[in-house]
Amino acid sequence: MLKMTHLSKVYRTEVVETYALRDFNIDVKEGEFVAVTGPSGSGKTTFLTIAGLLETFTGGEYHLDGIEVSQLNDNARSKIRNEKIGFIFQAFNLIPDLNVFDNVEVPLRYRGMKAPERKERIMGALDRVGLASRAKHYPAELSGGQQQRVAIARALAGSPRLLLADEPTGNLDTQMARGVLELLEEIHREGATIVMVTHDPELAARAQRNVHIIDGQVVDLAEDPRFHTAYTAAAGQIRS
Amino acid sequence: MQIKPILAAMRHHKAGALLVGFQIALTLAIICNALFIIQARIARVERPSGVDESRVFVIENNWADKSSYQTIGAQIGADLIALRQLGSVEDASSTNSFPLHGAGWDNYVKMRPDQIHMTTDSSVYLSDDHTLNALGVTLIAGRNFTANEVQAAQLEEGKSWPVIIISKDLAKLLFPGGDAVGKTIYVTNTNTPSTVIGVTDTLQSHMMDGDSGSFAYNAILVPVRQLSSYVYYVVRARPGQLAAAMRDAPKALFAQSRMRIIDPKDGVMSFAQVRAKAYERDYGMAILMGIVSAVLLAITAAGIVGLTSFWVGQRRRQIGIRRALGATRTDILSYFLTENMMIGVCGVVVGTLLAIGINLWMVTRFAMAHLSITYVLTAAIILLLLGQGAVLAPALRASRVPPVEATRPV
Repeated sequence: MLKMTHLSKVYRTEVVETYALRDFNIDVKEGEFVAVTGPSGSGKTTFLTIAGLLETFTGGEYHLDGIEVSQLNDNARSKIRNEKIGFIFQAFNLIPDLNVFDNVEVPLRYRGMKAPERKERIMGALDRVGLASRAKHYPAELSGGQQQRVAIARALAGSPRLLLADEPTGNLDTQMARGVLELLEEIHREGATIVMVTHDPELAARAQRNVHIIDGQVVDLAEDPRFHTAYTAAAGQIRS
Repeated sequence: MQIKPILAAMRHHKAGALLVGFQIALTLAIICNALFIIQARIARVERPSGVDESRVFVIENNWADKSSYQTIGAQIGADLIALRQLGSVEDASSTNSFPLHGAGWDNYVKMRPDQIHMTTDSSVYLSDDHTLNALGVTLIAGRNFTANEVQAAQLEEGKSWPVIIISKDLAKLLFPGGDAVGKTIYVTNTNTPSTVIGVTDTLQSHMMDGDSGSFAYNAILVPVRQLSSYVYYVVRARPGQLAAAMRDAPKALFAQSRMRIIDPKDGVMSFAQVRAKAYERDYGMAILMGIVSAVLLAITAAGIVGLTSFWVGQRRRQIGIRRALGATRTDILSYFLTENMMIGVCGVVVGTLLAIGINLWMVTRFAMAHLSITYVLTAAIILLLLGQGAVLAPALRASRVPPVEATRPV
């Protein structure tokens, strides 16, 4: 589903070159739930923005659902984002001027979908996240957890092949975070491929597989006892 | 179409949208009335005078010695002979006024001596048997004056003339049912009728202001050589010899007598200069209206650019979110263009009502004509295009916001 080979991302200024990702390799299979972890500044978000075609990369290869994306133009990238990828952001990224219904409708409108189908999908997605009754509410009228559920509904409404989540519970309290996580797990059980970037070892432990990034490269946790111990302990706690 | 979400978003930015909408409305209301006034002025300026303008010029002659009108009469006769003898001149005549002059003599016209209210008003040009040819005006019915019919006289109220020539517009007004030649009218407050002996083709009045609109083509020629402190010589040059004639004529007059004053600055004026001077205020008004319109349009465009730039800056993250969710650059561009078009259309609708209101007020207050829908449509199209043009640069800037903007920290 998502395969990056020797991928690099370099930010250049007049005086310095900074490698955000270097010789980056990852292969996420269809239906997997992968957590991407790593310290701040390790390149997690850069990986996610490149994976979501929000940004271009400097070198290497990236295949998304079998398509090599490096040569795609802006319109083609927009189309893939719209049809194949669902985003869940830490800050929810709802449009404050639009109500819940209209927010969920945004990607469907860009797909050129007819109004009756849009409505059916929107209400279906909102029903799934338990917010069908809040369709006419504005984001400011909802709690953080509810806003994130709307964002998930927006991502789900388009039936994406890949769900990318960037710290989806980062702005939520424990109870709300648990609700959102359970929702993601449910979505995964139904067959969705999920790649989730997180700082939180508890959250990472709920994923099928963990990928750890340090200094822009994927690190094998099994060979690094410091991280291995910490994550295994956390995972054990959660599962018990 | 994105109309519904744009409307929904606009509800949260009411003040800015209302401000620009109102600015567009006000600009439209003013612009279409300004265009209307400009067009009316241009139409007024372009009216034909009936004079062969490319060949006619006028000399304003003031007598230095005003002691004897008899001497003046003889001098005018001698001057005209001298002018007509010039190789560059086709004909010359003396008069008190001429079309577009502004100053002159107008008189009430009545059909019966006991009539209390005038039928109309008309310019009265003191003329001779050469006047029509000197002006280049064609006689379309009847005959010209004979030399014997022309009398030297001072201008006096209550004087009447046995024979007159009238312009075709006056003839049509006074005798709508038929031929004016041979009919009588009363030109002054006397009971003596004047018989119409000829009808000219188009001949404009000397009057430029006030209610001259309805009298604009009323002209009466009376066979009188004016004896007063001044006289105008209307001279028609031979084809292609206007400049030479304008140069030769004053010399010929001074050769006759030096006891005269011809202003070196504007004592000799081509008819093109007469026209330019006559319509100076109209040109000025048209230019002023044009400038006001251009300034208003510039202010409106600047307002649209400013507000849209502000909105783009304010919604940068929102644009990034839309891009992340699949919006193409064209989608973002079209969002801002559509938003501006919606505000523009609302402004145009309100502006149209306002324009009609202003026009109705001007119709009542200044007796202006009713505003044609063409001007409203023209102004509306100009404003909508201007709006789209003004919004283009900030909208293009918005379309270049990268999708990664959605992931930037709030």
